[in-house]
Amino acid sequence: MSLVALSELLGATVRDATGTVRGRVREIAVAPQDHPTRIAFLIVRTSDGERVLPVESLKAAGVSVRTHTDVSTWEQYAPSDGVLLLKRDLLDQQIIDVHGRKVVRVNDVELESTPVNSHLLLDVVAVDVGARGAIRRLSKGVVPSFTLRALLARIPPRVIPWQYVDLIETDPARRVKLKIAYRGLAQMHPADIADIVEDLPPAEREAVFETIDEEVAAETLEELDPDVKVAVVESLDKDRAADIVEEMDPDAAADLLGDLAEEHSGEILKEMEPEERQEVTQLLEFGEHTAAGRMTTEFLAVAEQASVDDAIESLKRFEGSREALATIYLVGGGQQLTGAVPLVRIATSSLTTRLTEISEPYVACAPDTPESEVAALFDKYNLITLAVVDEHGRLAGIITADDVITMLRHKG
Amino acid sequence: MRLIPRSWKVRLMLVLAVVGPGFITANVDNDAGGIATYSVAGAQFGYTLLWTMIPITIALVVVQEMSSRMGAVTGKGLSDLIREEFGLRATFLLMIALVATNFGNVVSEFAGVASSFELFGISKYIVVPLAAFVVWAIVVHGTYDVVEKVFLSASAFYVAYIVSGVMAHPDWKAAALSTVTRPESAGFRNYGYVSMVIGLAGTTIAPWMQFYLQASIVEKGVTAKQYRASRYDVVIGCVFAAVVAWFIVVACAATLHTKGIYNIENGAQAAEALKPLASNGAYLLFAAGLFNASLFAASILPISTAYAVCEGLGLESGLDKRFDEAPAFYWLYTALIVFGAGVVLLPRFPLFRVMVISQVANGILLPFVLIFVILLINDRELMGSYVNSRRYNVVAWATVAIMIGLTIAMLIAQTRS
Repeated sequence: MSLVALSELLGATVRDATGTVRGRVREIAVAPQDHPTRIAFLIVRTSDGERVLPVESLKAAGVSVRTHTDVSTWEQYAPSDGVLLLKRDLLDQQIIDVHGRKVVRVNDVELESTPVNSHLLLDVVAVDVGARGAIRRLSKGVVPSFTLRALLARIPPRVIPWQYVDLIETDPARRVKLKIAYRGLAQMHPADIADIVEDLPPAEREAVFETIDEEVAAETLEELDPDVKVAVVESLDKDRAADIVEEMDPDAAADLLGDLAEEHSGEILKEMEPEERQEVTQLLEFGEHTAAGRMTTEFLAVAEQASVDDAIESLKRFEGSREALATIYLVGGGQQLTGAVPLVRIATSSLTTRLTEISEPYVACAPDTPESEVAALFDKYNLITLAVVDEHGRLAGIITADDVITMLRHKG
Repeated sequence: MRLIPRSWKVRLMLVLAVVGPGFITANVDNDAGGIATYSVAGAQFGYTLLWTMIPITIALVVVQEMSSRMGAVTGKGLSDLIREEFGLRATFLLMIALVATNFGNVVSEFAGVASSFELFGISKYIVVPLAAFVVWAIVVHGTYDVVEKVFLSASAFYVAYIVSGVMAHPDWKAAALSTVTRPESAGFRNYGYVSMVIGLAGTTIAPWMQFYLQASIVEKGVTAKQYRASRYDVVIGCVFAAVVAWFIVVACAATLHTKGIYNIENGAQAAEALKPLASNGAYLLFAAGLFNASLFAASILPISTAYAVCEGLGLESGLDKRFDEAPAFYWLYTALIVFGAGVVLLPRFPLFRVMVISQVANGILLPFVLIFVILLINDRELMGSYVNSRRYNVVAWATVAIMIGLTIAMLIAQTRS
């Protein structure tokens, strides 16, 4: 088992069974459909055009490549979308370092060769994103290879194991063929995905949002910088955009649609499920910088006669954001707000306790309260959630502390 | 119908809305090196270099338009694209050349600062370190967006050259004629003449502007669909920059060259060109303008160089990163400022000559950057239907050929003299 760098293999001479030089390595291909890491074949530039050299026929792969087949058996190379070409698709391109949670550029690719019976297996093991790969490539052919190896050995490697690499491919058809699914990316925290997405060019951003799970996409979208957010949504096709927006918190969705050009937001709304659409359109009607514009309509309200047990049941069924669960609101007949129970009180009370017994004084504001006053209320009463009630005393929505923090940060 | 009166704020917003990356880039381009080169060209050669202005303007429009189109269509910076399409080695060599040339430009901006205060007898040992600190602070503290508008408004100073050029009563006929007549070939055997032609092209179409403009377009999030609007912004900016350049040359030709002052060694001489407009205030006007132009460019150049290099080489970059997260970025940025300002502090440093020489270096590097730009913009896989039209390619390749030809002519002239 030994490591060989892609940059060493590229341009290496290829000798056939007789030991005669037949050409030079031009590309190295992986066929992800067959095996995720294994090299399928080398493309060799010979005097008779580009030929395919299957990896099974390799005897040695290093500064020079040897094979035990005859040049006449090497097939003509025909370009295909389904293979990953390491030089074209990987070298010098940007990839996502899943472990380091950032976008990096590939300086070199490390391959591992394992002798099996009479031939070699070549696998991609890591990408080099540090100085070692860069210096190797810059000095290739300039510094004698002996000196270079000694020099490179002194440089600490900065490599990303292949399983922590997410490739970025903007062509959807090719993405399917190459089995690129952003698995690593999708497991990150949405805030981290958002940071990565902001570092990517527009087409790559679109590729990520087309591929990742709708729910993750929605949470990521909420974390994006407002300008980027709008650009991303406008670049997606209407169906996909609507699917993602449906998964967002209604208040965040309303903010986003409010920032879009009218034709865009209209088309997205049209594609949305009626229920979500209604929630969002309601919010859109309020001014963006008022309590109503900031509130979410996904909150937990239970009848005032209910017990702790009932409250826990509704908790289980709740589909809104976790932030909204900090307080459970009590409503009378006709949705009038009558009380508020912090989640902590639910946890510390027995199941049969009536909620009215543990209800605490609540703070509420009118829908047209300006957001600066909303922030002042949070500050004064140390709130986690704030109820928004309409002129009839009915609970219209709630504002959560995380929304207030976002609001304050965007002001400065 | 009643016209709704617009408040001055609304009007200002409308003006600033038109002022996009193209206009800003063209304006930054009239920096210390620009003012010095145009002034020296006018003083030394009178009207005889005015023929360069039309071809330079055409090339400038084409080059800037290509950069902004590439930014809008790909959403990527120029150094990113060069890296992705031409590999590490080409990128590395180009980045070394870019850093060297841009360092010369940074030096020339600080020389501009020194030279504008020299007029009032204020020592460069006080002004230059102070300016270096201001530049560093503006960028690191993120106040650049605010300051940019101040710089831009102060750029109205260039109008002073237009007015002064008119008041100097130049020989309009001679100036107009030299603008449109073919240059005599004998001039190209003269080292001073050829290097000045390269300097004029290099200062007007500086290589760093291609990187900066493309980055600004990407940063602004201009997309391929919206980019038509950016086109006007680019053209207006380029034409404005060229008109200012023409008038600086004419003003200097009419005030200095006609009086037999052929060599400009300091700001006091260069300020003569503004005497017709503001007899006693000429020093003040010139100093204020040169200072503004120098500081404007000095706050853009080091940071844009650091971004271009780090992005091309795949090193961490960005002011939102901490020093230990993006060491190369911060070191390069800091070194450009510290050494750029430091060099100017050397005793008896020839301020004006360096300002001009740095622009000649720009002109020498320009065709090499352009070759990359042309190859990239004609790549259908990258640009789709937005590849260059034939006419654009003709102008762009002609610019490359002419600039390389001029550089060779300069080298030959130099060995002969």
